[in-house]
Amino acid sequence: MTDLVLKNIGKTYPNGYQAIPSIDLSIEEGEFIVLVGPSGCGKSTLLRMVAGLETITQGDLLIKGNRVNEKEPADRDIAMVFQNYALYPHMTVRANMAYGLKNRGVPKEERDTKVDSVATMLGLEELLDRKPNQLSGGQRQRVAMGRAMVRDPKVFLFDEPLSNLDAKLRVQMRVEIRQLQRKLATTTLYVTHDQVEAMTLADRLVVLNKGKAEQIGTPMELYNKPTSTFVAAFIGSPAMNLLDAEVTGKGIKLNESIVLPFSHDYRGKVIWGIRPEHLVASDEQNGDIALQVQAVESLGAETLIHGVLVGSQQTDGSAVPLVVRLSGPHLPDIGSHLWFTVPREDWHLFDANTQQRL
Amino acid sequence: MIENRPWLKLFSHFILIAGVLIVALPVWVALVGSTQSAGSFADSVPLWFGDQGVQNWSHVLFHAAGSTLQIPVWHLLLNSMIMALGITFGKIAISMISAYAIVFFRFPFRSLIFWVIFITLMLPVEVRIVPTYQVIANLNMLNSYSGLILPMIASATATFLFRQCFMSMPGELVEAARIDGAGPIRFFFDILLPMSRTNIAAMFVIMFIYGWNQYLWPLIITTDDTYYTLVMSIKNMLSVPDGDIEWNNVMVTTLLAMIPPVAVVVGMQKLFVKGLVDAEK
Repeated sequence: MTDLVLKNIGKTYPNGYQAIPSIDLSIEEGEFIVLVGPSGCGKSTLLRMVAGLETITQGDLLIKGNRVNEKEPADRDIAMVFQNYALYPHMTVRANMAYGLKNRGVPKEERDTKVDSVATMLGLEELLDRKPNQLSGGQRQRVAMGRAMVRDPKVFLFDEPLSNLDAKLRVQMRVEIRQLQRKLATTTLYVTHDQVEAMTLADRLVVLNKGKAEQIGTPMELYNKPTSTFVAAFIGSPAMNLLDAEVTGKGIKLNESIVLPFSHDYRGKVIWGIRPEHLVASDEQNGDIALQVQAVESLGAETLIHGVLVGSQQTDGSAVPLVVRLSGPHLPDIGSHLWFTVPREDWHLFDANTQQRL
Repeated sequence: MIENRPWLKLFSHFILIAGVLIVALPVWVALVGSTQSAGSFADSVPLWFGDQGVQNWSHVLFHAAGSTLQIPVWHLLLNSMIMALGITFGKIAISMISAYAIVFFRFPFRSLIFWVIFITLMLPVEVRIVPTYQVIANLNMLNSYSGLILPMIASATATFLFRQCFMSMPGELVEAARIDGAGPIRFFFDILLPMSRTNIAAMFVIMFIYGWNQYLWPLIITTDDTYYTLVMSIKNMLSVPDGDIEWNNVMVTTLLAMIPPVAVVVGMQKLFVKGLVDAEK
């Protein structure tokens, strides 16, 4: 059953600025949807519109089949976890978690039972009598999640909940959020700008660009078949290499000297993409393209080599940057040339004009 | 900066001690004077304790403030206390509510209303004293506690300070409360009020002292001495048509008038400072 439906949802501010032109999305019960995009793409606005903190100026928002456009946040049966946790500083952890229930007139015994059971689930039993300022960042985060969970809402909304945590804790909480969500099977809408977080958490991803949904799909769909150069560059780290090229009768022409054999009905300018991890190390005889090394990032398990494509120039005369990701340690000299083959199945081709996948 | 220069130390101590002496001397004179007999002030100001202390204090506190004011000072203290607390709580309540409306609600002419409130800063009691007196007289509130309190409780300063305090409240907290189902009244009492605790304390100190020291207004609207306040009655005790001013009784009354504000400042100092400098949100 669909839990949350966004039907032609849009937002235009009174000053005429159109933050979100129109988005259609229907979310199944228990699904984990991540809204991802660069800052200013409208992802938080969209989430806040679902929460009821921003007005919806166009379209319908349905939760469990009921139109809730005009309902107050408290009446929408949603719970939200904020970026800065937004815990009430003067209340104990227990009071923080129980506040929503208290306002809904849930009797004290029931409140306590619910808070206790959620606290056990999150490992917060010891902290129930503390105030938020006596907690660490990770613990606050957990309390904020607990506050959302006690109410047992139909939809969880997360607004960049991990961005204030340190890197290690972020990874840990990421896993925990995923496990909890699986266990509770509550429909979840999660906003982040971090594509790793997005990829690891989501059942389905919505990539937003300037208020428009560029692509909606599973993380693997987005990784394997990005529908536009925007998605191609946004999903995956380091980003996909995107090179200007041209499809001719002989194949795909990256520059005067590099023509990769290829047949396609399309003729004309394209953008040719390949992910850094899909370039295969080769030698001068067998290699398709050569890279001149400019910088090497050794991460232990893998090595990122930044360089430029040999013998190629962009239209403005600058060199064409290229990134390669190799597993294991490598230490090529700066300035040396490395040769790679580019397997056909890993290519991505986009129309140079529309930026859409061919 | 840690420096070890003995002369500098000596010099700064000298300055500090001189400052303390200048501030403390009048208090000392008042304290000493309150133990003298009425006649000891005839030629010079006494600088050491006399032997009338207990007698003066009990007479002034429980019998009569002086020959011109036949009312015990405990009654004046009570009046002052009622007025000061009334003004303080009234100011805090009214300005919190108006700041709440201005910060958290969107209504037409919101900023205009704020500026109108703000402009009243330019109209202190002294400026509007005649019309205010007229209004209070028409309302039959001369010689009453409400007449003493009501004209004082609208405060642009406090409204402004609460507005700043509310505006520094994180937006996410307000939104979290909305999602938690807290309506305007609940939000005010459950979230806003406890979170502005230190600001309220700071405001309490400032407003209590303001209220306690009110002089001109009580002087004008009270003609019945059962509504006299302590601060204005000292003036009354000094204007003796004939005969000597009872300096010993005046000193006792002065000291008594100093105690409540000092107690409030000392007692609430910690919260007061926190409320003015701290943004623990």
